[in-house]
Amino acid sequence: MKGGILFFLLLVCFSANTQELQKRLDSLSVLIGTMPADDTATINLRNDYIKQALFSNPADSTLTEFAQQTLETAEKTGYHKGVLFAYERLALISQYSFSNPYKALDYYHKSLSVAENNPGLNSCKWGITGGIATIYYEQEEYDMALRSFKEIILNNKDLELTATANIANVYGAMEKVDSAIYFYKKALQHPQTEQNPAFKANLYSNLSLMYEKAGNAALAVTTAEKSLALINAHGIEFVRPTAYANASMAYLGAGDYVKAEYYARESLQLGELQGNLFLLKSAWGTLADVFAAKNDYKNALQAHIRYSALKDSLNNQNRRVEINRKQMEFDFEKERAFAQTEIARQNSIKKATLLGGLGLLVVSALGFILYKRRRDALEQKKEAEFNALVSDTELKALRAQINPHFIFNSLNSIGDYILKNDNKSAQDYLIKFAKLMRTVLENSEFKEIPLSEELKFIELYLQVETKRLPGKFSYIINVENELDTENILVPPLLLQPFIENSIWHGFREKESQGNIVIDFKRKDNMLLCSVDDDGQGGSNNTTGAGKKSLGIAITENRIKILNKQKNASGKLQILQKLNNTGTRVEVSLPLQNAF
Amino acid sequence: MITAAIIEDEQHSTDRILTLLEPYAEKIKTVCFTTADEAIQGIETLRPDIVFLDVHLHDKTGFDVLSGTAHHNFSLIFITAYEQYAIKAFRFSAIDYLLKPIDANDFKNALQKALDKVQQNQLDERIGVLLSHLSTENSVRKISIPTKDGYSLLNISDIARCEADVNYTHIFTLGGIKYTISKPLKYFEGLLVSHGFFRIHNSHLINLSFVKSYAKSGYVTLLDNTKLDVSIRKREAFVKACKRL
Repeated sequence: MKGGILFFLLLVCFSANTQELQKRLDSLSVLIGTMPADDTATINLRNDYIKQALFSNPADSTLTEFAQQTLETAEKTGYHKGVLFAYERLALISQYSFSNPYKALDYYHKSLSVAENNPGLNSCKWGITGGIATIYYEQEEYDMALRSFKEIILNNKDLELTATANIANVYGAMEKVDSAIYFYKKALQHPQTEQNPAFKANLYSNLSLMYEKAGNAALAVTTAEKSLALINAHGIEFVRPTAYANASMAYLGAGDYVKAEYYARESLQLGELQGNLFLLKSAWGTLADVFAAKNDYKNALQAHIRYSALKDSLNNQNRRVEINRKQMEFDFEKERAFAQTEIARQNSIKKATLLGGLGLLVVSALGFILYKRRRDALEQKKEAEFNALVSDTELKALRAQINPHFIFNSLNSIGDYILKNDNKSAQDYLIKFAKLMRTVLENSEFKEIPLSEELKFIELYLQVETKRLPGKFSYIINVENELDTENILVPPLLLQPFIENSIWHGFREKESQGNIVIDFKRKDNMLLCSVDDDGQGGSNNTTGAGKKSLGIAITENRIKILNKQKNASGKLQILQKLNNTGTRVEVSLPLQNAF
Repeated sequence: MITAAIIEDEQHSTDRILTLLEPYAEKIKTVCFTTADEAIQGIETLRPDIVFLDVHLHDKTGFDVLSGTAHHNFSLIFITAYEQYAIKAFRFSAIDYLLKPIDANDFKNALQKALDKVQQNQLDERIGVLLSHLSTENSVRKISIPTKDGYSLLNISDIARCEADVNYTHIFTLGGIKYTISKPLKYFEGLLVSHGFFRIHNSHLINLSFVKSYAKSGYVTLLDNTKLDVSIRKREAFVKACKRL
């Protein structure tokens, strides 16, 4: 079925016909002009004016501003009822003039909150709930619309009729024809209906449509005729177009094509006058059906074309509402998405902070471990360096001890010459001694010197001593051929104390000439040095009279420190030959090369 | 007749030299000064052929005498007891010296060289080298090396390396010139180690600032592309010394 008829929405306080409306409107606007703006009565009047004006001319765009001004004045004067109705009017304007149900809903809610916060205005709440319910209806939220209207019926007797009529409308929209018929009938039986022919006419018209939908053509026609009779009797012009359209449908259903065409054309005319597209569409739709039923296919086609075009354009209008809704949804989604991204951002910040903190912790722990390890290594190195320094100093001190020891022995020799009055020999000896001293001083600067230097020194020392004790002893220095004396390193003045002991103690009381054999050779990775004399025993005694020679003690300590430093196993051995026939001192050192 | 000036503030030292010169009395006339000022004047007027010069002269030094005189046409022999810094400077400038107490043999050798006048060659320049090594200023340090015809003065920083050849040493400069001196490498090592040289091998002493690259396998390459072996025992110390540079 093509001719879907729109419902004429029943508003809260709907009574007057068009002429009456316009008259009241004019008197109101005159009244408003003469009264002080901030008076509560003025505000009431303004609100009344808005409502009337809205239904007299829904396209009046100046009403919004007028309503806003009313709202401001009411708020300024603290007139709550004025504020409530101003919000309600704004909601109505949004809903009917701008087809913006969401904005309307917003105003309704504001209005509602004013009603709820002021106990005196509680009764006004239901009118607003009705407005909200019509929005639900428009938005096809039928269940919610029904719930609201039913609530109104229960709570406010004054609004019982409009609510019942609207419930009928909702059921009609839901295609629940039986329920719709039941509630229309209930509304028609309501006592208030009798006093309001316009309302009654509209109810009959809508009821006829329901009968038609229910397939009861006869009842539809009689009901439609009741509606038309009321309209004609009372001149209810604004119901007329809808009633005509519905009547046309009823006649069409009953097979009365003439009347159907007549009312359809009338409806068409009225619709054109009003510029009401819904009316035009259903009129053309009904006409198309009428022509088709009359087998007038040419006109049927043309009517159908008109109908289709209107339907499309109406769909576009519907789409506008849809777009509005979509926009709202979009805005909401955007806000939600923003909130979600904000939450996500906060979360990720939290996570990042946590991760960063964790990372920092790990890094600092790692850093600490590395630092500690490095510090420990550094400390160990420092300690080792310090130990080396200590032992170096010790060695130097030990070498230094040799110097005075040697010096005083030599000075004794020079004293001997002077005693003997041998100036020439004293001079020669002194010069040799000076050279020897120089060598000692130079060599003892170093921890190690080439073996060749040490040999030079031993030679010089023995020369000096031979000079001092001519004929007392002879010496031989043997160096194994394969030894590279320039390259082998030895601690300076290592053997001197033993040679000294042989000469001073071994040969002192010996009648015959003594012999010293000094030997350097290599054994495996060791350098073996030996001082072998045939003097009277005890020259290098360590076990005898108990008192160790200073030279031996010093040398023992030096070897000990060298062993520690080089991780070597140098040794000092002193052997007494049988029957007091001499002493042999053996020093073994790790073989060290300079290059 | 040859004139020998003995500049010495201690009488017993002067006596010792005079005693040692006694055998040459026919040839050599001696004159003695005990202070630096006397000596400066004496050298300018007498123009001695041989000068025995003590490092210590009361509150002055033998070096003051040298810087105070313009004429250095003599054979110079320093006398010192134990001034290590001075001995090093003598060696750099190849100026002869005797150590107190003076050994008769050493004296004889030194005097012979002085008589041969070998020591007179380029004495001015060598005194310059000597004084520069004694000064604390950071001047260009040189080294005098005895050659066949006299002395060559080299900038120490121009010496790339020294190579041992038994008891001789070959000195190579950056310019590729080779000098051969009859002193062991050890002698130059003692002098040059404090001037950025390093003994990398029994036979090689190199100037560290001439090192171009070092391979971990133990070869060092110098700026003139000479490749030299670094002995195993010296490698660690060598790397350390290079880093210190």
